[in-house]
Amino acid sequence: MDFGHYAPLWPEALLTVLSVLIVLLGSLMKNSGKLMGYLSLAGLVAALGLVGSTLMISPAAIFFFDTISVDSFSQFFKAVFIIVSLLVVIASLSKYTGKGADEFYALLLFATVGMMVVSSSIDLVTLFVGFELASLATYALSAFDKSKKNLEAAMKYFIFGSVSSAFMLFGFSLLYGMTGSTRLSDIANAALTSFGPAIFVALIFVVAGFAFKMALVPFHMWAPDTYEGSPPLVSALLASGSKKMGFAAAFRVLLIALIALRLEWYLAFAILAAITMTLGNLAACWQNNVRRILAYSSIAQAGYIAIGFVVVGAAYGSAPVTTFNGVAIPADQLAIAGALLLILAHALMKTGAFVGSAQVASMVGKNSEVEPDDISNYAGLGRRAPITAFCMTIFMFALAGIPPSAGYIGKFVLFSSAIYAGLLWIALLAIFNSALSLYYYLRIISYMYLKEPVGPRMPEAKGYVIALVLTLIAVVWIGVFPNNFIDWALQAAAVLLPQ
Amino acid sequence: MIPNAITWMIAIPLIGAVITFLTRSRAQARMVALIASIIALILSLQMYLGFDKTSKSMQFVENYQWIPSLGVNYTVGVDGIAFPLILLSTIVTVLVIIYSWGEDKNPNQFFALLLLNEVGVIGVFTSLDFFLFYIFWEIVLIPMYFLIGIWGGPRKDYAAIKFFIYTHVASLVMLLAIFAMYFTYQLPDGSRTFNMLVLLQATQNPAIFPTSLLNLIFIGLLLGFLVKMPAFPFHTWLPDAHVEAPTAGSVVLAALLLKMGGYGIFRIILPILPNVDKVFVTIIAIIAVLSIVYGAFMALAQKDIKKLVAYSSVSHMGFVTLGAVAFTWMSIQGAMFQQFSHGIITCVLFMSAGTIQHVVGTRIIPDLGGLADRMPKFAVLMMAGFMASLGLPGMSGFVAEFMVLTGSYATLPVYTMIVVFLSVAITAAYHLWAMQKAMFGPILKKYLDVHDPHSYELFSMGMIILLSLLFGIMPSLITDIMGTAAYQVMEPVRTLVQMGVI
Repeated sequence: MDFGHYAPLWPEALLTVLSVLIVLLGSLMKNSGKLMGYLSLAGLVAALGLVGSTLMISPAAIFFFDTISVDSFSQFFKAVFIIVSLLVVIASLSKYTGKGADEFYALLLFATVGMMVVSSSIDLVTLFVGFELASLATYALSAFDKSKKNLEAAMKYFIFGSVSSAFMLFGFSLLYGMTGSTRLSDIANAALTSFGPAIFVALIFVVAGFAFKMALVPFHMWAPDTYEGSPPLVSALLASGSKKMGFAAAFRVLLIALIALRLEWYLAFAILAAITMTLGNLAACWQNNVRRILAYSSIAQAGYIAIGFVVVGAAYGSAPVTTFNGVAIPADQLAIAGALLLILAHALMKTGAFVGSAQVASMVGKNSEVEPDDISNYAGLGRRAPITAFCMTIFMFALAGIPPSAGYIGKFVLFSSAIYAGLLWIALLAIFNSALSLYYYLRIISYMYLKEPVGPRMPEAKGYVIALVLTLIAVVWIGVFPNNFIDWALQAAAVLLPQ
Repeated sequence: MIPNAITWMIAIPLIGAVITFLTRSRAQARMVALIASIIALILSLQMYLGFDKTSKSMQFVENYQWIPSLGVNYTVGVDGIAFPLILLSTIVTVLVIIYSWGEDKNPNQFFALLLLNEVGVIGVFTSLDFFLFYIFWEIVLIPMYFLIGIWGGPRKDYAAIKFFIYTHVASLVMLLAIFAMYFTYQLPDGSRTFNMLVLLQATQNPAIFPTSLLNLIFIGLLLGFLVKMPAFPFHTWLPDAHVEAPTAGSVVLAALLLKMGGYGIFRIILPILPNVDKVFVTIIAIIAVLSIVYGAFMALAQKDIKKLVAYSSVSHMGFVTLGAVAFTWMSIQGAMFQQFSHGIITCVLFMSAGTIQHVVGTRIIPDLGGLADRMPKFAVLMMAGFMASLGLPGMSGFVAEFMVLTGSYATLPVYTMIVVFLSVAITAAYHLWAMQKAMFGPILKKYLDVHDPHSYELFSMGMIILLSLLFGIMPSLITDIMGTAAYQVMEPVRTLVQMGVI
């Protein structure tokens, strides 16, 4: 039998086999040392290479009776997910070794595979399976250190996650009931608007289900508690990876299956985005726990990214507004590209920031009288842990959108699409929100550099440092040489739009 | 002339900053910083020799594609508007590094930040692409934030954050105005550009930029620059930042960062000014006069020398605004010269305040007295600096303010007379009063054992006095350039292609 034409799916296959292998090896070996970490590392690097080789795949490769599509949109997200997992694994090499490590890496890889499946799904059932695979793995991961806080975080995450899955599933079932198909393209072809009020009920449930995952206000309550309470490296995965999975799913479902209802979900997302970014930023100003600040900042960033939906809803199929490298670009394509760039940028910046906080928590450890993540532990970090502090500073500036950084480019492309689409108000709101957000990012920086150190210099663990520096290079690289990334995002965005 | 001189001038302090940051001892840090800043100075002097003073075109232009998809280019170049400020930046950075020779708190970071600051200001003065311009504009905030926040006084945290947020919000407003230009103007092939001169030229076409839109853009840009200058009533961040900043921080803040605002006025505001509502001329003139008068009166009321100097900056920078908005050849030239002259003179004022602070331990004028008795060399230099600042003929400040007032009288006679009557005497009063109270009179007993400061501090101050005298006696060294630039500002903007330089 010839499996050659399954080549675009090798990354998923590789990671699945590897995670099963890690579970098996783990049950056979008493103490595996760092082996599991290195195995996952190698697997992820190989998977990244495989995804990289099919980055601009065209035309899309469709598998399994129209349920999985490998196209440049899915490859964009897969690259983001694998990079995030890779960075988390590199940092984890300094923390999760020996007994029990096999479970950590296996779960992490399962979660990665789940996210990758979601980004490729063009069928509601496949999408849901991928969603649950990633969610179940991350539920377990967020309780991995088995501390009381972990359990609380995991419990909250699990309950809210299950409810959101239920919402989503209910919405899906309504869609199936009305259209008789779970394929996105079939749903799109059905005369959706003729189903009257029922279709709006379905839309509400689907959007609410996704909004939970994306942590848009008012579906965000779980995020700060979970990001604060989970093991810090898992928080990195949750904020940078699994949250982005929600966006990947929402893009596919809304833009392909439910595009006929765009005026309805445009309005919903306009309200959600405006509230989310404003409340996220305001709430972050009052937090004293660094991971809670990062959690609220990531809620605010989700609000920015959601502007992408607003613009697409408003400007779907409109005439080109500008040209990039001689190619005419309409506002909707630009909006998706901007959202994708911001997703990429935010995934990197947030992974970096959470890895930095993990580093601090592990260094301060049990000696601390306050919570390890309390901002007072960051006082004088510039002298206690110079590399961590420097990288954190760059991530903070990048998150605030100070040029030249990945965060600035993402915001620039996304907000400019809103301006082209005539949605000046939301662009202005987002820009003023960016100014507001600078306050709490600067607060962390001022603790790290302007306050007197609260203790002696601390040794910085190698794994964390490597992960931080790699992320730093990526964030600055995208900021300084964004051209190829913009082109890539535009290509990926084109997949979702009619040719 | 070496090729890519401007890029080198930006790159060398940047490389120097990285190396300085990595050094292990104070001796290495300051030496690396000094060498890097001197190379930049030599480059700028060499550029001065090669500079065509009669040309109204951009010179030393470099143009590379950077982000073609967004219409962003790496375009740098200098003309008569920018060049004097580049000279100023490189001179001041060298002298401030020498002045800070004795810094012993994290010297590697300190000197690295001074160099990074130089990178930012030179970048602002040379960028001909709004995207690049904005990046450098923002980069400047970062070293200044840390200089205030790490080496600052008792309320440094508050001052640093206030400085950053206040000026960052202003730059965001400016960014919005830049975006408005970017999104309004389309090149013939449908793409967009951030090219500064192309956009400025487009604003002169009412078919593309109707007056109502241009007014809004103008307000946004103006706000960004007035906050930076700072002009009344947007000056409130300045006294806090200055009082808490270390001496070197205050010097670069007053000598270089404030000039970015003035530069923005000449480069961007004045070319747009003829096409917006005429009411803006009145508004800007009122702001200028209020800054001059209010700054002078506030300076008179201060007890802290540093705060006095800070308010004197508000007052002196008001002359830049006044001269610019009066829009005559003489007044614009004077305003440009005032930028240069104030940049030099304010260094010596802040250095004086800093030296008094670390020699005596206080800067509060009523607590001081008779210091000249024990610090004769320092007293001479400080006296000379204060005289230069109050506008003593023969020094650069006099020439600049004379040109501004003479030039402005032609178009804004009333405002000019208000300035003459209300501020000239007050300016002299607060300078002389502070000098007399702090330095002269019988020496207080507790200060009997103070002595002249380190020779490197005296050297920096002395160099600045010499420069002020040099440009006071022979202003044509630099006003030749500014005279051409003043004509250039009053003419319609020409793009680089029209100038024939790319």
